[in-house]
Amino acid sequence: MTGGPSLPRRQAALALLASAATLTACGEPPEEIIPAVEQAEDAVPGVPRRFATALPLGGYGRGVVVTSHEGRPTKVAGNPDHPASLGATDVFAEAAVLSLYDPDRSRLVRETGRGGAQVASWEGFVAALAPRLRVLESRRGEGLALLTGHLTSPTLLRLIDAVRARFPGLRHHAHEAVGEAQALAGAALAFGRPLATHAALERATVVLALDADPLGPGPDQIRHARAFAARRAAQRGGATDARLYAAEPVMSVTGAKADHRLAATPGLVRDLAVALAARLGAGLPAPDLPPGAARFLAAAADDLLAHQGEALVLVGEWQPPALHALAHWINARLRAPVALTEPVGPATPPATLAELAGDLRARRVDTLLVLGANPAYDAPAALGWAEALRDSGAFSVHLGGWRDETAALCRWHLPETHPLEEWGDLRATDGTAAIAQPLITPLYRTRSAHWLLGLLLGRDDLSAREAVRETWAAARAGADGEAASAAPADRGAGGGGMAGQGAGGEGAGQETANRGTADRGAAGRGTADGGTAGRDATRSAAFERWWRRALRDGVVPGSAARHVAAPAPRLVPPPTMPEGPFLLLRPDAALWDGRFANNAWLQECPRPLTRQVWGNAALLAPAEARRLGLSEGDLVRLTLDGQALEVPVLPRAGMAPGVVALALGHGRRRAGAIGDGVGADAYALRRPDSPWAMPGLDMRATGRRGTLLRLQPETPLEGETATLFRTAVAPREPVPPSLNPPLPRGAEAWAMVIDTTRCIGCNACVVACQSENNVPVVGPEEIAVGRDMHWLRIDTYDTRGDAQDGTGSGAGPEADPRPGFQPVPCMHCEHAPCEPVCPVAASVHDSEGLNVQVYNRCIGTRFCQANCPYKVRRFNFHGYADGQEYASLGAPVVAAQRNPEVTVRARGVMEKCTYCVQRISAARRTAAKEDRPIAEGEVVTACQSACPAQAIAFGDLQRPDSEVSALRRQPAHYALLEHLGTRPRTTYLAALRHPNPALEDGA
Amino acid sequence: MTQLFPPVANTLARAALLGAALLLLGGMGLLVTIPFTPHVTRQDVVVEQPVQFSHAHHVGGLGLDCRYCHTGVEQSRFAGLPPTHTCMTCHSQLWTNAAILAPVRESLARDEPLRWVRVHRLPDYVYFDHSIHVAKGVGCSTCHGAVQRMQQVRQVAPLTMGWCLDCHRDPAPNLRPREAIYDMGWTPPADQRARGEALIRAYMIRTEHLTDCSRCHR
Repeated sequence: MTGGPSLPRRQAALALLASAATLTACGEPPEEIIPAVEQAEDAVPGVPRRFATALPLGGYGRGVVVTSHEGRPTKVAGNPDHPASLGATDVFAEAAVLSLYDPDRSRLVRETGRGGAQVASWEGFVAALAPRLRVLESRRGEGLALLTGHLTSPTLLRLIDAVRARFPGLRHHAHEAVGEAQALAGAALAFGRPLATHAALERATVVLALDADPLGPGPDQIRHARAFAARRAAQRGGATDARLYAAEPVMSVTGAKADHRLAATPGLVRDLAVALAARLGAGLPAPDLPPGAARFLAAAADDLLAHQGEALVLVGEWQPPALHALAHWINARLRAPVALTEPVGPATPPATLAELAGDLRARRVDTLLVLGANPAYDAPAALGWAEALRDSGAFSVHLGGWRDETAALCRWHLPETHPLEEWGDLRATDGTAAIAQPLITPLYRTRSAHWLLGLLLGRDDLSAREAVRETWAAARAGADGEAASAAPADRGAGGGGMAGQGAGGEGAGQETANRGTADRGAAGRGTADGGTAGRDATRSAAFERWWRRALRDGVVPGSAARHVAAPAPRLVPPPTMPEGPFLLLRPDAALWDGRFANNAWLQECPRPLTRQVWGNAALLAPAEARRLGLSEGDLVRLTLDGQALEVPVLPRAGMAPGVVALALGHGRRRAGAIGDGVGADAYALRRPDSPWAMPGLDMRATGRRGTLLRLQPETPLEGETATLFRTAVAPREPVPPSLNPPLPRGAEAWAMVIDTTRCIGCNACVVACQSENNVPVVGPEEIAVGRDMHWLRIDTYDTRGDAQDGTGSGAGPEADPRPGFQPVPCMHCEHAPCEPVCPVAASVHDSEGLNVQVYNRCIGTRFCQANCPYKVRRFNFHGYADGQEYASLGAPVVAAQRNPEVTVRARGVMEKCTYCVQRISAARRTAAKEDRPIAEGEVVTACQSACPAQAIAFGDLQRPDSEVSALRRQPAHYALLEHLGTRPRTTYLAALRHPNPALEDGA
Repeated sequence: MTQLFPPVANTLARAALLGAALLLLGGMGLLVTIPFTPHVTRQDVVVEQPVQFSHAHHVGGLGLDCRYCHTGVEQSRFAGLPPTHTCMTCHSQLWTNAAILAPVRESLARDEPLRWVRVHRLPDYVYFDHSIHVAKGVGCSTCHGAVQRMQQVRQVAPLTMGWCLDCHRDPAPNLRPREAIYDMGWTPPADQRARGEALIRAYMIRTEHLTDCSRCHR
């Protein structure tokens, strides 16, 4: 049976006895306390510190405040002072802290020679690069190419300009798989030059989104969601005109929240825009619209025209440039609240990836530096970029955080520091700059792009901090003449919410004295000296004050891009769209363009609307699926231009006929242990010329089944939707009588109210909860058997699911669904059904009304889970967080992410939402030490702080003036499954829409 | 045919039955009591430390305040152990060549922290906070005993949950004024019960929440 030696029975028994005796003799090993040799003066072990910094998405910064426990960053929250965060976060920012501790991060320099990739050293790389730089300098940089993602960092752009001064022949290429190329090209068509468009949703009353998804994932999501939610919340008062129309081929979050939505093929979206322009007097031939679309457009156009100055038409990046140009013309006619700025990024637009591929093929490039980009994966396969690089034989260097597809192709791979480990600066979409400061000394011997560019400049060992300080000192020196006085003093005073943030933001990297991870000495930072004016300016006291202030606030004051007065947009008639079945590509709501594929939180984050995890699927209309005889999970073969891809199908209501939608970012080949081979790689079918909508798709059933994992299978609710997810104000029902004694109320009575009108289903709360509460990932195999551990789920209802399908009218729930999002944490019922069934009293109430789960009492009978009507309890069938982690998540470095204020649950233990009891406790202790009660708003749960739409309110019911008390008095207030008499403390506000009466005829 | 069992067998059988029952009861009794013995609670167990630091000398003899070394006690859940630099503020001048201080000097010279062995150890699922206890009138000596008389620090209290709850259910006998928190020689006055009750009111201690599970476990 086993390979061990077979012992006689007596010997075996003795051996067993001996091992048993050894086991019983074992006590717990002694625990050590290891104080620092020298403690930083303002650091108190056990007290978390918070630092403002910025994290990139598609090159744009979002300001965040990161919590650090004893030098370990553990939790990301929003920075209220930053215009792209406004105090909230998105899934990407929340999950950044897990990527920092990803065991698959690259740690070693590698050189690919004849014998394959071999471990090399930084010194070896510098020695290999030096002769090449001398040759390049002698021919003035001809043959040198630099490939980056979209860059907004003033420091990196300054360094690239300096490199160009030394190597005038340098060509800078930028590649962003999910960028804004179409929008900028559209602006160039309309205004004669590329301009960035900033729509102000907060000032728009009527919005028509033409295949636009402002509420969807992206660097502007938080700003748009906040503005949208504010308009929506105002409507609860009654008087409002705010209305959102959406016409789109694929159901987006924006379409889900729209008051009216039309499932429109790409051709119809174009026709709608042209018809609207014609209505506004463009003199274009008005296209023939189908009756439903004509009615939709007429109503929307009336509404837009009635609100000139507050009406806005948005066109998504997925639409061709001509449609963007037309939208500019329409918006100008409507006097829409749209601001234009110069594009935030390089002053001279960098060349494209296609041009680089051409240069490589023509052997015009012999030295290529790739900074952070991953075109070997996320370039359209048809571009042949990887082959071009391989055949060119160029000296290629890849600097990146992971040994990804591009790293495997390049001669040198250099491990890059994580954004949370390094100094830097980033601009938000509106141009506001933020200085990123490190939260921790780099975990491994990694270096940053600043260092590599410094090498090209002949400045060996240029530190990122020094480079960033030079940039801003020079900018300050230049700005001193005009507006020095306006800059620092007046910020922060009104900020308020940042009180707990560490004032001396600098030096975060140095506070890891008693940890074994930081092996690269911090001593070298900021001590290297030089001679330029910028370097001298960094030493002035005034700059030092400004610098500390900018770090503390997390934004550089007054750095937003100036609005430009553009000429009147030209009218460019958009060409007609080709016919035929379309393949539509979209960024993934959790993996973006694929760069986050090795983040387990994001892989297991249920995507909005589909609730799919661990993979992607071809979305198509249910009627189409029926016609092809396909059902959910059937594997189909998508063929386009001779390229084929097999992917499972997922029929979705609300999809336009004749389109198939697929998310990018899956099917990574070298992402790491988490992301490899999950889903299908849509880049294989992407076309360089029309990256988002590709006609000529051929789809065939393969007759096989694929893997399609969803956390919420479609369930017909048989008429109960209206009670579970309310879309109208219903009369209050009396609370049913109960035999249970009323819950005695202590000093506080915690309660949560979730406004489903505001919720956009973005999942920021779900990942925030995971990060705050040490919620483990279970992995695809466990999901497949119906297990998951999220304490907070976002139930997605089709509020018209119970309506009869008006066949032929095109207005039934299948063509025009109205999804609603309902986040469901623990209800903390006053009469909790989980409590009386627990045989060991592990599920009990505390005096503040929390339904607490005592893990050390729990014996795992799961009776509580069976008895919970809301199904919010989660059971550790395995040691998901404690010994049986998924894939690489058991590596010791991952444990550094854990929140020390929350227990890591073991196998066999039940768990659930605690209302962030550790935050309540922290606030209570702070208040108690000051001999005062807890103030309103002092306790902020993780989900509440993350929510971009501010849909979650939390507070004390005992205070009549608290926000939750006020929301509970709203007419739209209701409790989930109220008739059960559980008296939940988590309650809801109904999801209200503001439909146009002209379109509401009982459809 | 002779009897198989002699008459004494009856007695033996009864004794065996009784013995088995007693063994069972005794075993169960042991199982219940063992967790409360010092073997498990580590009460009064002296552990070997890297440096023979004497609280009796520093606190009892020299009169150093607790907070000179345990700096975090008023702000953090963790009272804190002094960094090597704190030791060296005095010992760079005093006893500079003492053999007993060699590990401290070595720690500073090599920039390697001292590795102390934890004496007061709570399970990982207990979230104890020093700062709130000292803020609400629980003095150091209430839990840590007469540290000023200990050559080697040992745990004087059992630190069992029952022991914690004794005070959480009825804190009045153990509360003292805030001025006396760090007074190692403090003894309860004769009217402690009344004074304790007054302190509960003065310090706004909410006794109804003190025994909630969520107070210490989360």
